Amino acid sequence: MRGKILNIEPLSLLTGALAALVGWSLLAGSLPRPWPAALALALGLALALGGHSHGSAVQIDRLAHASRWADMNAALKTLGCCGLLVLTLCCRTPWPPLGVFVYTAALCMAGGAGVRRYLGLMALPAAFVLLSAAALLWRWAPAPGGLADLPLAGGWLVLDAASQALARLVLARALGALGCLYLLSLSTPLPELLAVLRQAHAPALLLDLAVLIYRYIFLMLDTAARMRVAAASRLGYEGAGRSLRTTGLVYANLLGRSFARARACQQAMESRGWEGQIRFLTRRHPVRAGHIALFAAPAAALLAALALGG
Amino acid sequence: MTKQEKRFMALSLAVAGVLIVPQQAHAMHIMEGYLPPAYCIAWGAVCLPFLAAGLIRLKKAARQQMLLLAMAGAFIFVVSSLKIPSVFGSCSHMTGTSLAAILFGPASAAVLGLVVLVFQALLLAHGGLTTLGANTFSMGVAGPLVAWGVYKLCRRLRAGRKVSLFLAAALGDLLTYCVTSLQLALAYPSAEGGVLGSAVQFLGVFAPTQLPLAIIEGILTVLVILGLESCAAPELRQIGFLKEAHHD
Repeated sequence: MRGKILNIEPLSLLTGALAALVGWSLLAGSLPRPWPAALALALGLALALGGHSHGSAVQIDRLAHASRWADMNAALKTLGCCGLLVLTLCCRTPWPPLGVFVYTAALCMAGGAGVRRYLGLMALPAAFVLLSAAALLWRWAPAPGGLADLPLAGGWLVLDAASQALARLVLARALGALGCLYLLSLSTPLPELLAVLRQAHAPALLLDLAVLIYRYIFLMLDTAARMRVAAASRLGYEGAGRSLRTTGLVYANLLGRSFARARACQQAMESRGWEGQIRFLTRRHPVRAGHIALFAAPAAALLAALALGG
Repeated sequence: MTKQEKRFMALSLAVAGVLIVPQQAHAMHIMEGYLPPAYCIAWGAVCLPFLAAGLIRLKKAARQQMLLLAMAGAFIFVVSSLKIPSVFGSCSHMTGTSLAAILFGPASAAVLGLVVLVFQALLLAHGGLTTLGANTFSMGVAGPLVAWGVYKLCRRLRAGRKVSLFLAAALGDLLTYCVTSLQLALAYPSAEGGVLGSAVQFLGVFAPTQLPLAIIEGILTVLVILGLESCAAPELRQIGFLKEAHHD
C-alpha cells in the first residue's frame, strides 16, 4: 500500500466517513448551514487520505533522540509538560485546551517532527478520540427531540445540545492533553525521562526494570519482525485459523528465546560483579531562561484563562 | 426494500462501523485527557496498595528474576503493539498481562503492567499519563488478578491445563473490558440511566471487538505457554511456574 500515490485502505476510508459524521454532530446547530457539513467533510477526507503511521514506537523513539529540544533539560521538559497537562484537564471550556494543542503541536513540528509526520502520528489517536465521542454524542431515546434525530430500532438516536457541549469539552481536553503527551515523548528520549524519575526518588527497582524493558523492546521488535517474515514466507498466515496458530508459535518462540537470552545476560552480569543495581551515565543539560519561558508562558496563559472562568 | 428499510439498513451499518472501528489500535486503554482530574487521582490511589505489594514481592525475587521480568515486560509491550495478520481484519492483538500474571503472579504483573503502560503512553500514544492510574487498575491489577485467580481455581478443581489457561486469559481480558467500561461510565454517567445506563452503553460500544479479542487472547495464551514449556522449561522452573505443574 505504501508505494501508491493515494494510499487509501478500506478501513481508513471508513474511519474518515465516521470521523466526518462525528465532526458534523459536534458542529451542528452552532454554525450557519453549509459550514458544519463542509468542515466535517474536510476532516473526514484529511483522515481518510492522510493515512497513519505504523510501527510508531521506533519512529517516536527516533524523533525524540533527534529532536531539536533533546538537549533541553529533561527535568524541565517533564515538569513543564506534566504541568500543562494538569492545567489542560482542569479547563471547563473547549478553547484553552485547543490553544494548548496548537501551541504544543507547533513546538513539536519546530523541534524536528515536521508537519506531515506529526499529523501522521496524530491521525491514529485523533481518529480514536473523535470516534469514541460518538458514544458521548448520540444516545438512544424513545422519542425524537434533539438537534438531530435518526430513527433506529423502534426509537431514535438523539443528538442534544447538552451532550454536544460535553463532547466538545471532552474532545478538546483530550486533544490538548495528547499534544502535551506528544511534546514530552517527541522531545525526550526515554532513558533521560527515567533519569529524571531517578532524581525524583522513584523506586529504584521499578526504574531498573524500566531501563531493561526499554532496551529489550527494540531488540524484540526486530526479532518479531524477522520471525513474522519467515512465517509468512512459509504461508503461515493463510486463513484465520492457521494465522492464529502461527502467531501463537511465533510468540512462544519470541518469549522462549528472550528467556534464554535473559539467562545468558544474567550470567554475564553476575560474573562482572552485578549487585542488583544498574547505573547509566547521562549527559547534563543546564536549564536556560528561554527554555523556562517556553513552558511558563502557556502555563501563565492557561492560569489566566482558568481564573477568568475558562 | 422500501425507502425506510434502506435508510434503516444504512444506519445500522453506520452504527456497526462506529462500534467496531474505534478500537482498531487501542485495545482497552482510556485515552490521554479523557478522564476528569478527580478520577485520574482516585484511580491512581486505588492502584497504590497493589503496586506497593508488587514492589515488596519483587524486591525479594529481584536478583534472580530481574531479567526474566524485563523480558516479560518487553514481550507484553511488543505483543500489544503487533497486529495479528488476517484474523478479523487487521485490528486484533494480544494484551499479554494475563499471561504475565499466570507466569509471575498478580503482584509482579501489577508492576509490569505499570511500566508497560508508561511505555505504551510515551512510545505509542496508547493510553496516557493522566489516565495511567485508571489503565493500571483495569489492565495491570483487576484483569491479571482475575486471570491468576481463575487459573488457580481451575487447577484446584482439576480442570485440564489447556482449559484452565484459556479460561484464565479470556476471563481476565473480559474483566479488563468490563472495568474500563465502568470507569468511563463513572466519569460520564448518562442523563437518564445514570452510571448504570452509561455503563451498559459503553459495554455495548466495546462488545463487538472485545468479545472476539478475549477468545483470541485465550487461545494465544494457551499456545504461548505450551510452546514455552517445550523451549524454555528451565526458566519456567526458575520462576516457579513449572514445578507446580509437575505435581498434578
